[in-house]
Amino acid sequence: MARIGVFICHCGENISATVDCEKVAKVASEFPGVAVSVDYKYMCSDPGQNLVKEAIIEHKLTGVVVSACSPRMHEPTFRNACAEAGLNPFLCEMANIREHCSWVHEKGDATTQKAIDIVRTLVEKVKRNEALAPIYVPISKTAVVIGGGVAGIQAALDIADAGHKVVMVEREPSIGGHMSQLSETFPTLDCSQCILTPRMVDVARHPNITLYTYAEIESVDGSIGNFNVKIRLKSKSLDEKVCTGCGACIQKCPVKKIPSEFEQGLGMRTAIYVPFPQAVPNKPVIDRKNCTYYIKGKCKVCEIVCPTKAIRFDQEDSFVEVQAGALLLATGFDVLKTSAFPEYGYGKYKDVIDGLQFERLASASGPTKGEIRRPSDGQIPKKIVFIACAGSRDPAKGREYCSKICCMYTAKHAMLYKHKVHEGTPYIFYMDIRATGKMYEEFVRRAIEEDEVKYIRGRVSQVYEKNGKLIVRGVDTLLMGQPVEIEADMVVLATAGIANQGSEELAQKLHVSYDKHKFFSEAHPKLKPVETNTAGIFLAGACQSTKDIPETVAAASGAAAKVVGLFSNDMLKRDPLIAIVKKSPPPVYSSCTGCFMCIQVCPYQAIDKEEIKDRNGNIIKTISHINPGLCQGCGTCVAFCKSKSIDILGYNHDQVYAEVSALLNE
Amino acid sequence: MNNIQQKTKELLESGACTLIIGYEKGTGGKARPVFVRKAEHAAKLIFDESCDQNIAGYLYRQEIKNESKKAIVANNHTLKSIVELASENQIHEGDFMVLAFTAEGEIIELKSFEEIEKHVATLYHGLNDEDKATMQKIEAMTMEERWGFWENEFSKCIKCYACRASCPMCYCPTCTVEINQPQWIPVPSHTLGNLEWHVMRAMHLAGRCITCGQCAKSCPLDLPIHLLTYKVALDSEQYFDSVAGTSVCANNVLATFKTEDHENFIR
Amino acid sequence: METNNNNSFEPKVVAFVCNWCTYAGADLTGTSRIKYAPNVKIIRFPCTGRIDYMLLMKAFANGADGIIVSGCHPNDCHYTSGNFHARRRWMIFRNLCDFIGMDMNRVVFSWVSAAEGAKWAEIVNTTVDTIRQLGPATSFQKLIKNSVFEEVGNE
Repeated sequence: MARIGVFICHCGENISATVDCEKVAKVASEFPGVAVSVDYKYMCSDPGQNLVKEAIIEHKLTGVVVSACSPRMHEPTFRNACAEAGLNPFLCEMANIREHCSWVHEKGDATTQKAIDIVRTLVEKVKRNEALAPIYVPISKTAVVIGGGVAGIQAALDIADAGHKVVMVEREPSIGGHMSQLSETFPTLDCSQCILTPRMVDVARHPNITLYTYAEIESVDGSIGNFNVKIRLKSKSLDEKVCTGCGACIQKCPVKKIPSEFEQGLGMRTAIYVPFPQAVPNKPVIDRKNCTYYIKGKCKVCEIVCPTKAIRFDQEDSFVEVQAGALLLATGFDVLKTSAFPEYGYGKYKDVIDGLQFERLASASGPTKGEIRRPSDGQIPKKIVFIACAGSRDPAKGREYCSKICCMYTAKHAMLYKHKVHEGTPYIFYMDIRATGKMYEEFVRRAIEEDEVKYIRGRVSQVYEKNGKLIVRGVDTLLMGQPVEIEADMVVLATAGIANQGSEELAQKLHVSYDKHKFFSEAHPKLKPVETNTAGIFLAGACQSTKDIPETVAAASGAAAKVVGLFSNDMLKRDPLIAIVKKSPPPVYSSCTGCFMCIQVCPYQAIDKEEIKDRNGNIIKTISHINPGLCQGCGTCVAFCKSKSIDILGYNHDQVYAEVSALLNE
Repeated sequence: MNNIQQKTKELLESGACTLIIGYEKGTGGKARPVFVRKAEHAAKLIFDESCDQNIAGYLYRQEIKNESKKAIVANNHTLKSIVELASENQIHEGDFMVLAFTAEGEIIELKSFEEIEKHVATLYHGLNDEDKATMQKIEAMTMEERWGFWENEFSKCIKCYACRASCPMCYCPTCTVEINQPQWIPVPSHTLGNLEWHVMRAMHLAGRCITCGQCAKSCPLDLPIHLLTYKVALDSEQYFDSVAGTSVCANNVLATFKTEDHENFIR
Repeated sequence: METNNNNSFEPKVVAFVCNWCTYAGADLTGTSRIKYAPNVKIIRFPCTGRIDYMLLMKAFANGADGIIVSGCHPNDCHYTSGNFHARRRWMIFRNLCDFIGMDMNRVVFSWVSAAEGAKWAEIVNTTVDTIRQLGPATSFQKLIKNSVFEEVGNE
């Protein structure tokens, strides 16, 4: 038999000014199952809370309704008070008669009656509340960081410095990502590699970090605290333990004309190669698609010249499995290629390049040793046209978003060009200049005022080749749409930042949601920017949306802090207000019919299948199962399940049904 | 001996099958389901226009669930239900074989879900002319007229649940009407409770009703309750492009969403 | 359905709202001291995805004259997609109810965010006004009366 205590708060005069609190308490005392009903000036004060605690003990209460302010305000206060008096905190509910009643209605009978109705509803609910205990999930304190660009590096170092194990997985032969390709970085113009390479070395040396390069995620199962991550180590055709990284094989490799990925196709590499001199790890891999031995069956020059006999032609892909408590996605981005632009020559003009290619031209370690020379004939261009928003903010290209980084790097490119080619003239066609970071606007102003970069507000409709020049046709919208034609020596397209290749496939493996552009989605656009909607999987950097370096690093440290926070406990404590699949005694076991349509409904991939077996291990029935570590308690599956086999603790069928009838029946 | 009898005889004699679920001649010009286990009984089987009952529901019956060598003679309704049941994980590939008919009346054996799905893609999906006309008639009524119409129909319902029993999609071993904590559907058959039952039944069939009309055909009071599930089926198609019984992949209309879904009615 | 001109009619309206947006929005209406009609009473759910259409039927079967269902705006759901599922469910349910002649002017669906305290007051007031004009839900009340009689009669 229920013994409910009802506690009506006056909240000074906030409630009692319009609600007759004494009357509410009196009427409530006559509700079936109510053992005690009192009103008090300030229920949340110490004496008020003591009133509740004493009543719980004196009247052996089985449930408490505090009629006061919003549960969003004081539910934790009163649940704690109940717990201190020995009543399970989940047997306490709040009736909101302040925000939803006294503050929004005039003084009068109707307002008092509404307060009575609200209290009655919550009394009926609390009679059906169950004592609940928090859920604890053990945590494996290892994080898997996917992607070894600046985001992954920052996050891995932060987590490792906090004392936790990190496994970094990078699909390329070296970590470093796009940042290692950059020349100098805005707005300070410091050398990109000079800041990054020490961090790369830190990763390789850190005792808490295990680095797997030339590796990819094969599969992930499990959930927050306990992921099982299977990693494919692609064969490098080399025994890394034996290799000293002397580079003799690279020098002797006869296949030397492979367009280098690191140089964005502007330089060449060999078939056995390290992507760039500062690579970490600085040991080569054999590119089997281009290696003569793998194509024709003979060569083996590298094996012959290798002083330590490290080459392993028959090496196969291998796998490692990692038990991880958290995953951190830092897979970065890519840029749209110039071939996506028919109006700018479909990528067939050699001197129309993208921004990342320009970075290589401007880089001291690049194919031209930092001299700006056009790819077609190696001449120094006298006029360069930079086209911002190439593909970005362009619904016709299917990318209505702003790539965010191009305004700044285009200004930087023009500036670097001017610094290297004093007599040259850089032009920038732009839509708007978005320079919103710290010192960013000043940087753009410097480009315009000191370096005399010619900014032209307008779009470029066409670029074509004529007599060894590139004719750029556009308009200047600040001159009333006047057509502009420039004979340029080189054109640089600030092509849109796009999701990295393979991101969709990876998202599906991890059950992480992604947007229509294949960028990974954060759990909440404002409040959970580094979490995904799958608990325990975090995001950092440009895999979420294109970001500049400071923003990427900030996101990476943010995501790392989330991981470290998660790892700061041995057990994960979770609110027990989650959905459950109801079980019943044999021979029914559960009314769940195993249609598994709820699996698709769940926003958190918290539902999987459970086999009910007899003593001999034979499967009797397969039903849905909700992982308490993943369920967030939205209840969408509860309303969806036709057989009502799923229920949700705290808002169960019985409770909400009773609330509806109590609200309407005096 | 006709086509289907010949086929059944062959399947049973060769041991390829031990059970054929099909139709036999019933009373009053109607066909009824029959289970044939012996070759000498093959002559009972018929397949003509009278065989309009949807018999897909037999496939998941506990009594025959474990018989792996079974075949079902499937009309178009049955075929669509089989596809829908497959998408809802109630029947499993390889547990049965389908004997379907081409437009020319030739028997074809369909074994894999892929084959069944392909065959179903060639069938007509939609209401018959009579049902279309009735739907239009009701939709043209005023709100009060519609309420009057349905109030009258629901008042006659005796809650025998023949609609539920005959629907191949109503496979839950514990139906919501049998739950009494809370009592979602009142036990006595008064109009209010009947209305709640029929609304719930229609909602449960959202994206799942293949519009066979078996529920109404089974109703001893001839209530046009199939129109309720048809309404839901038509809306699922019109607004969400979802047609039940066309794909063996799970993709229920209420289990999925698009961010750009229609929402004119929301303030 | 006859319109009720009797001014003493006070509509009973049940609001089914999600905890994160509309419940918080209604809290804001309170902290902003914006007045609205006391006819609407709120039942709190974790998410609009949790709101079962059978509860809406039960509200009418228990004598509600009107219903408000409200949650987070699209893309703002605390659980990312509960409101998207709910939106589809309502679309189908609403059309079905309309098909059987239920007056859908009595059921208001809305998105009210935690910042839209004023919108909540406006939704409540316009809903109560609409229902005041429509009068009591007599079509259901007749069925309720008959069901009580029959249930008693059956005992």
